[in-house]
Amino acid sequence: MELEFRNLSCGYGQRRVVDSISLRLKVGEVVGLLGANGCGKTTLIKTILGLLPVQGGEILLDGKNIKNWTSAQIARVIGYIPQMHTPPFPFEVLDVVLMGRTAHIKPFSSPSPQDVKIAERALDMLNISYLRDRVYTEISGGERQLVLIARALAQEPRILIMDEPTASLDFGNQIKVLSHVKQLAGMNIAVLMSCHFPEHAFIYSNRAVLLNEGKILHSGTPGETITAERLKTLYGIDVDIVTVKNRMNQELRVCIPSRNFTLQPMQSMERRNEYAFA
Amino acid sequence: METIIKEKIAEVKSQRDAGWKILILLSTLILIFILSFALGRYPVPPGQLLEVLASRVFPLEAHWNATVETVIFQVRLPRIFAAILVGAALSTAGAAYQGMFKNPLVSPDILGASAGAGFGAALAIYFSFSMLGIQLMAFVGGLLAVGLTYGISLRIRHDPMLALVLSGIMIGSLFSAAISCIKYIADPYDKLPAITFWLMGSLASITSRDVYMVLTPILFGCILLYLLRWRLNVLAMGEEEARVLGINTGVMKTIVIICCTLMTAAAVSISGMIGWVGLVIPHLARMIVGPNYRVLLPASILLGGAYLLLVDDLARLLASMEIPLGILTALIGVPFFLYLLLNSKWGWK
Repeated sequence: MELEFRNLSCGYGQRRVVDSISLRLKVGEVVGLLGANGCGKTTLIKTILGLLPVQGGEILLDGKNIKNWTSAQIARVIGYIPQMHTPPFPFEVLDVVLMGRTAHIKPFSSPSPQDVKIAERALDMLNISYLRDRVYTEISGGERQLVLIARALAQEPRILIMDEPTASLDFGNQIKVLSHVKQLAGMNIAVLMSCHFPEHAFIYSNRAVLLNEGKILHSGTPGETITAERLKTLYGIDVDIVTVKNRMNQELRVCIPSRNFTLQPMQSMERRNEYAFA
Repeated sequence: METIIKEKIAEVKSQRDAGWKILILLSTLILIFILSFALGRYPVPPGQLLEVLASRVFPLEAHWNATVETVIFQVRLPRIFAAILVGAALSTAGAAYQGMFKNPLVSPDILGASAGAGFGAALAIYFSFSMLGIQLMAFVGGLLAVGLTYGISLRIRHDPMLALVLSGIMIGSLFSAAISCIKYIADPYDKLPAITFWLMGSLASITSRDVYMVLTPILFGCILLYLLRWRLNVLAMGEEEARVLGINTGVMKTIVIICCTLMTAAAVSISGMIGWVGLVIPHLARMIVGPNYRVLLPASILLGGAYLLLVDDLARLLASMEIPLGILTALIGVPFFLYLLLNSKWGWK
């Protein structure tokens, strides 16, 4: 399975946010999408999912344009993991995961025992079977995010799209959630993940795509794509990228902001005026 | 192996629990049903009730007063069925509206559906339409009101939950004003009392024809919503998510709005405006059986029916004169909902 954008443009109403980008995504790949707030990451994701209309170009699945597909057709191929959220109703975890089966269930039916088995397998794969009968609104944020991944797995998609899956998670939960992302790629799924931190792209993706003001700045392996210079263009700050070793003797790249962090006292108004008249 | 067995037991247990709860709710409804005959100015004891009912099927010798039959079949039975139907319709509509709008604070009255249906029905009474005409007008009015409420809420770019409630209140009071307008120009000796008493909510003058008239739309709504139970669950997670999970939300929302408004309009057309049932009962049902529509819908139907039947019994018994239903449901519903709000771990987060 292969997802391809050909000169894809998207946005809200008349406004264009993403302008004519082309990209290919293959099964087994994790692609990290990096960019500043408002660069068009979420717009692009919403358009792929069919939540926003395509403004120009095309989205192809195995060479077929998905323009006229129904939401059920799309959902059978493309899964989505949203940012952490709290729904207003206290559904049980198993029910939430079973919702991933919706596209495979007939309109007037409920999930079958077969669907329950698939949902349980998804929970098992993420080692969260113990959450099965708990109430979704009462478990922790990290657990909720894992449940949403399980839901996407129960959907049995070939392509998985994540919109900053670790946003609003604490440090430990970020790593726990992301550790499963690579596992997904091993299951013959193509993953497109927008991320906040360049480090996440270094560790968890095979390919990084830098999105700047609605255009692709660069795309390639994370190592050669994510450079200090390009991060400066993307985020407008100076960054040093350094390689460090962790306790397992693995080399990791981390980004540290290059800025003078010593506290500089603010100049008072009078002093500034004095300078102005000097 | 052991864990598998444990899981199986847990699964069977949770399904059986839900089954038990529904069974208990059903028995409660039947109990109140029998009790409703035994209460009132002409009490019919359960034994006699059974005999009279059985005589309709089996050739039994009538050793009872003819008045008993009149009371049972002409007075009590239509009224009891009407109370159950109206309660079930309003609660089911409330439960479905809440899931569809992903908003635990809405109900037929808060969305303006009741006021819209009330306006349609009042207009129909003003023009002396038939029962069918009243129902149709109520449906059109209700649909118009919910459509306006929903349309306006989409244009308010703030907290969507609040926007829906606020626009519902606005549209509701607009239609209430329109009802007042009809009352103002209505004939004070004939039409005005009819509209006024009907609006306060009452089942006192129900006939079996009324019951037959509303049975079809209410059953139709309940069955269709029950068939869509799984999709309602998914819709309760929010529109975007439901679409991404493979639901055609446009079609689904239209079906749910039409079903709920049809049921509300049918209820309003025979009972007048009865508030709070559609908000309070779904919450109570969710407290008992959880948010899954597979059990929430049956629980809302049974609980709503039992609740309104009980309130109607109170309306008959509490005073020498009948108390309008709408007054009683508000008196009971408001404190109960306040309790829910203050203990919001029940029902929603």
